[in-house]
Amino acid sequence: MLDFTLGRINLKKHFNIKSFIIFLLFILLVVNLFPIFVVLSTSLKGRGEIYSSPPTWLPDKFTLENYKEIFEVYPLARFFLNSLILAFGGTILNIAITIPAAYATARLRFKGRKLVMYMLLMVQMFSPVIIIAAIFRELSIFGLLDSYLGLIIINAVFTIAFSIWMLTAYFMTIPIDLEEAAMIDGCNRFQAVTKVVLPLLGPGLAATMAYTFIWIWNEFLFALTFINRDELRPLTVGIYNFIGRAGIDWHLITAASITAIMPVVVLFMVIEKQLIQGLTGGAVKG
Amino acid sequence: MLAYLLLLPAITLLAIFMFYPIINVIAQSFSNTDIIGRIQSFAGLTNYKALMVNPEFWTVLRRTILWTVLAVGLKTIIGFIFALLLNVKFRATKLARALFIIPWATSVPITAVFFRWVYNADFGLLNHTLRMIGISNPPYWLADPTSAFFAVLLVDVWIGIPFMGIVFLAGLQGIPEQLYEASSIDGANWIQKLVFITLPVIRPVLIIGTMLSVLWTFNDFPVIWIITKGGPINTTDILVTWIYKNYFMYNRPAMGATLGTITFLILLAFSIYYARFYFRED
Repeated sequence: MLDFTLGRINLKKHFNIKSFIIFLLFILLVVNLFPIFVVLSTSLKGRGEIYSSPPTWLPDKFTLENYKEIFEVYPLARFFLNSLILAFGGTILNIAITIPAAYATARLRFKGRKLVMYMLLMVQMFSPVIIIAAIFRELSIFGLLDSYLGLIIINAVFTIAFSIWMLTAYFMTIPIDLEEAAMIDGCNRFQAVTKVVLPLLGPGLAATMAYTFIWIWNEFLFALTFINRDELRPLTVGIYNFIGRAGIDWHLITAASITAIMPVVVLFMVIEKQLIQGLTGGAVKG
Repeated sequence: MLAYLLLLPAITLLAIFMFYPIINVIAQSFSNTDIIGRIQSFAGLTNYKALMVNPEFWTVLRRTILWTVLAVGLKTIIGFIFALLLNVKFRATKLARALFIIPWATSVPITAVFFRWVYNADFGLLNHTLRMIGISNPPYWLADPTSAFFAVLLVDVWIGIPFMGIVFLAGLQGIPEQLYEASSIDGANWIQKLVFITLPVIRPVLIIGTMLSVLWTFNDFPVIWIITKGGPINTTDILVTWIYKNYFMYNRPAMGATLGTITFLILLAFSIYYARFYFRED
């Protein structure tokens, strides 16, 4: 009798079902990853080979010439630098204000604590597009349009809710006894936190920062709306604009796409485990 | 107390750049404004009434709902299937999961730009491939309202599958083995196990996952904007892209504000109603 549970499969007895599943999974993964494969493969092909018919799946000759060319045709280096500036700046600003806030919500009892938590949750529900014109006007009044600072601030603001949620959860995993012990030993609260708690927060903090970084790197709407000059554009908007203008050259688009997403894909893979634990820790009981 | 001080920077920035704009937008929806959005006079429900009789509003609203239902439905089903498959232990499980996540790690705007190229009628990858296999006049995917809608839907689904898959996978892994074993003793087959054990146990996960997905999908701006910009001729506009156009292209800030407020209310109502499912214990 086939004892097929969807949780685990008994290795020895039910080889057929398991093989089928693995086969099915493999097929689905191939289909799912096909676009990425095409992009990667095309970007590594020489120009002649790309347009050849019949088209080849794997490059006959691996070449990095496209990657060189994109930097000549697009101001890609500039876009890349801008993305870095915005993502770093935004992340730093974000954790500078969310670490203290998360500490407060995690450790301290204060009036309105529940209200603050609910508010942060509600804020997630709000699409930025709804208030984008109002923010535009505000930035204009503050003179922050078309500037790194303006975009850094907005990006930091819109990731506050998420960061506070994550950091609060991480803070709560650290036993309060450690701080209390440190304070008994003569530290004030600030020292207790910086010397004892923050180091333990390391992985959680790193994951939160990485997530914020990735979010800002991939951000499109604000960069599209608040920035006018090409020199300030990050990768997302820069590539979007240039594809329209410079026509459609496969070898360039694919190479540019890979270059643009490479850093965050790598970063994402690194923090993937942390992120999933953080995301699903609340949703799954036990 | 100390807490307030620690929260001050965060709350201040949120107040300036989020709460104030929200109030501003709501106020605008009840007002007559000038062309850049400054409030001139009180208008009561005029803007809302105007929207109710505007056929374009209903078209866009219906389309947004259709978009959301289809996209979330597909992401949920496909994600769940992947989760079931990935839950099986075999040697390459870790690798399979890492590969599965890759679409999620890619940047949405860049992916959208890529797919826009794919769908391009003259130079794009899709039509090029079709021509290769002998179809001489492949369609103008993005020039026809229906195919454009589904073209963009496909991209949104592709990007969103990993999130649902991972959420479900985490849920599946929390299911105790004994439940299945006990039911085996009672003679259950795999369909019965799926329906009567797996689904009920992961219900909280399912609800939260789909709720988040609905909120994000309903408001998804980059994918549509980059691939079709709401075209051809506004036929793939959903609420958020239409709002953006009202603000920055048509110079109708009051209308944008009214639409925005309505969008928010719709999602708020949805969240409250949906959350009831979550808290309703069997």
